[in-house]
Amino acid sequence: MIRSPVRRDVVIALVLFLLMLAVPLLTGTRYVLTQLTVFFIWAVVASQWNLVLGVAGIFSLAQMALFAVGAYATAMLAYYIGLMLPAAMLLAALVTVGVSLVIGFACLRLKGPYVALLTLAIGQVMYLLVVNDTACFTTPASGCLPLFGGARGFSRFGDLGFRDLLGSKWYVGHYYTGLVLLLAAQLFCIAIIHGPLGLAFRGLRDNPGLALARGVSRMRYQLWVFGLSAFFTGLAGAFHAAHFGVVGPTAFAFAMLLFILAMIVVGGLGTTWGPLIGAALLMWADEGLREVSDWREIGIGLVLAGCVILFPKGLAGIRLRFSQGRGQRPDAPPAPPPHTKPV
Amino acid sequence: MDVATQILISGLTLGAVYAVSTIGLALIFGALNMLNMAQGGLLALGGYIAMWAMQAMGWPAPLAALAAMAAGSLAGGLIFVAAARPMLGGEGFETRIFIATIGIGLMLESVILKLFGPQPQAQSLKLEGGIMLGQVNLPWQNALIFGTALLMLVLVAGMLNRSRLGRAIRATSMNRDAAQLMGVPIRRIYLTILMLSGALAALSGIMISSMSGLLPNMGADPMLKAFIICVVAGLGNVPGAALTAFAIGMLEAVIQYIFGVQYAFAILLCLVIAVLIWRPQGVFGQKEVVRL
Amino acid sequence: MSLLEISGLEVAYGVQRVIRGISLTIKEGEFAALVGPNGHGKTTVLRAISGLARARAGEIRLDGKALTRARPDRIVAAGIIHVPQGDLLFPGMSVLDNLRMGAYLPEAARDEARRLDEVFTLLPKLRDRQTQTASTLSGGERRMVGIGRGLMAGGRILMLDEPSLGLAPIVIDQIYELVQALAKSGRTILVVEENAIRIADMADRMHLLDNGAIAWSGTGQEFLSSPEIFATYLGG
Ligand SMILES: Nc1ncnc2c1ncn2[C@@H]1O[C@H](COP(=O)(O)OP(=O)(O)OP(=O)(O)O)[C@@H](O)[C@H]1O
Ligand SMILES: [Mg+2]
Repeated sequence: MIRSPVRRDVVIALVLFLLMLAVPLLTGTRYVLTQLTVFFIWAVVASQWNLVLGVAGIFSLAQMALFAVGAYATAMLAYYIGLMLPAAMLLAALVTVGVSLVIGFACLRLKGPYVALLTLAIGQVMYLLVVNDTACFTTPASGCLPLFGGARGFSRFGDLGFRDLLGSKWYVGHYYTGLVLLLAAQLFCIAIIHGPLGLAFRGLRDNPGLALARGVSRMRYQLWVFGLSAFFTGLAGAFHAAHFGVVGPTAFAFAMLLFILAMIVVGGLGTTWGPLIGAALLMWADEGLREVSDWREIGIGLVLAGCVILFPKGLAGIRLRFSQGRGQRPDAPPAPPPHTKPV
Repeated sequence: MDVATQILISGLTLGAVYAVSTIGLALIFGALNMLNMAQGGLLALGGYIAMWAMQAMGWPAPLAALAAMAAGSLAGGLIFVAAARPMLGGEGFETRIFIATIGIGLMLESVILKLFGPQPQAQSLKLEGGIMLGQVNLPWQNALIFGTALLMLVLVAGMLNRSRLGRAIRATSMNRDAAQLMGVPIRRIYLTILMLSGALAALSGIMISSMSGLLPNMGADPMLKAFIICVVAGLGNVPGAALTAFAIGMLEAVIQYIFGVQYAFAILLCLVIAVLIWRPQGVFGQKEVVRL
Repeated sequence: MSLLEISGLEVAYGVQRVIRGISLTIKEGEFAALVGPNGHGKTTVLRAISGLARARAGEIRLDGKALTRARPDRIVAAGIIHVPQGDLLFPGMSVLDNLRMGAYLPEAARDEARRLDEVFTLLPKLRDRQTQTASTLSGGERRMVGIGRGLMAGGRILMLDEPSLGLAPIVIDQIYELVQALAKSGRTILVVEENAIRIADMADRMHLLDNGAIAWSGTGQEFLSSPEIFATYLGG
């Protein structure tokens, strides 16, 4: 099985990784590297959400809430307890997993649209509780600070240490950290999509009756994907906090949720590489359209609606359809056996 | 006693506002299995069109309200024709239409922002003054909202239960295939439902903006509340949605009084999450009944 | 005089071709039966005729007028009435409202009162149950409402998908008595039945569906007198 899809995807991932490794050697521009660092972060968030949304079929809109949990937990662990940032980030990712499991237990018994609305509501509750909390928890020199940072959020909770290590070139350190994070997250996606969990979900989708009869418990598998993907989502939030050095309630912003949803939808829901393609494309377009920025929202809306209506499988799906036309289709599900209807 | 009257007035008003926009959502979900996330945009559209018709065109209030409802139903119809119809019956309809209507809502709000600007404005379609009930002031505006909402509910209920169109809508919601086999043109029914829901949303948007002013994104919170009401009632359950709307309105008024306005929404959401965990199919069970 | 003509009909779900080019003709006033084992596509044929399933190829004509790929409401209006497998009643409506939905189209609606009376005469049990909610009916009562709803629509041809499914033998006999009576009264009927033997002595014409294709057509008598057909297609 030289041409197995797993092997192919892993090779693609490693080649891309090596190419990206070389980028800082070719260009020293700070602007390019920090933009790419931010791209790594959103690509991770998009790829993990895609696992939940497109692969496991959980209609969760809690992705930015989980991202925010990772960011806030990092900031709070570093600020209140004084943990080193790398340790705080790892712990924060675990906290995110815990939170996601609680949300999962509450939501996964429900049907699709209920899950969407409930997760949206949960994110909104978190946001409102953070923003509306005005009681001072501590009073540092900068003034009153509520437990969750209130409307202003946290700042000055330390950094990753690259400033001491690399001096003015600290952002190169962030670039590589982000790159490694994306590589790990993408390898995890490949493992999920082609591994037993992905297989189980494909089985559930193509033949629910048969899969259930074989003892495939949908909810248990969904919980696994939800929890595991939350680890990388939380880590992305944590890294976002470390990279920018601030954490505020904007992490919950609905606009960001939509932007990332657009990335997934443009790239192709449920595909291995779609979210990364979509993230690259949308961030590039967003950057290019900065001059006409008051058209940004309309643009995102148009992209969301247009893509879903015209290309239900996204850009990755177009490529797929194209190669299918020439008689090969690497990701094709096995043809269902004839007459599997119980008699 | 006065406190109770005060809470009753604001609770009934809130409930009336919610009920008008929620039954539209419930009808859409019941018939199409579609969550219309553009509802927030439709609310804003209604509010702004009414204001514009009175301010810029100098139209009288009833005509302005009708214009807003016409605009809302046009927008609703467009959502069906441009987004829902092409993907009807396709794979993953529920997910795709959800995302598509999010996009449409975003566009609608941005267009409003471009046309009317980001600054808050006052709704011109509003009654001033009020009447004293004992020690409590009952603003005419609240009475108007309540009366209009009640009239709308009665009209919609009558349509659903007594008319041929209403029977077709209910049949389509209960069993799409069977309705088609009876000769019901379901696409036309869907279009009608979306247009009706758009008109109701526009009306609700006028009511909301008459209380809290106009903003391009004024629809976001009310839309979430309307969905929450649908969820609590059981998605697609129209009479349950109307009842729940009033219950949630009252509850919100009580919470506002006890805990203050800034916590009302958060506490409400927590309660709803608890309800859903307790009864995943909504309070009124799983029978999807479109009828008032 | 042929009323319904189907030629080269093909239906596929996704990549799977379920109906592979079937042709059959039903004459005015004929009692036709489509038989075949479970899962061989009988329901799919009816769904394609009434427009619920999309025909990939082929033609469907009623009275010479092409109806292929028309919307279901147009097909009903043209006179093809389909009583689906599993009844598909409107669960939240009363028996009466279910029956009245049958006469939804204007032409039938004008004649509603008379047809309702006719249905109640044919199915007297329904008269007592008019106000009961459909979801609370027993299986046999449901079947009667389903058939009654189809009768309310009138139409040129009545297609019944497994009217005996899941009923006790005694009730099955009652249902088929009714179907035979309808046939005698001159209605054109197409019944889908899995139990070929039962339908053979009633039907004027039998069509045997095997794996999405018509394997054999003939009269009921021919069917009964040729055991090899039964052994080949239905025995296994
Ligand atoms: N909506 C659908 N999607 C995919 N496959 C379908 C669909 N409907 C039917 N099929 C498949 O098409 C084949 C024929 O089904 P159909 O219901 O027409 O059979 P049938 O002869 O009516 O069987 P039965 O006697 O059990 O009612 C079956 O293999 C079935 O699984
Ligand atoms: Mg069948």
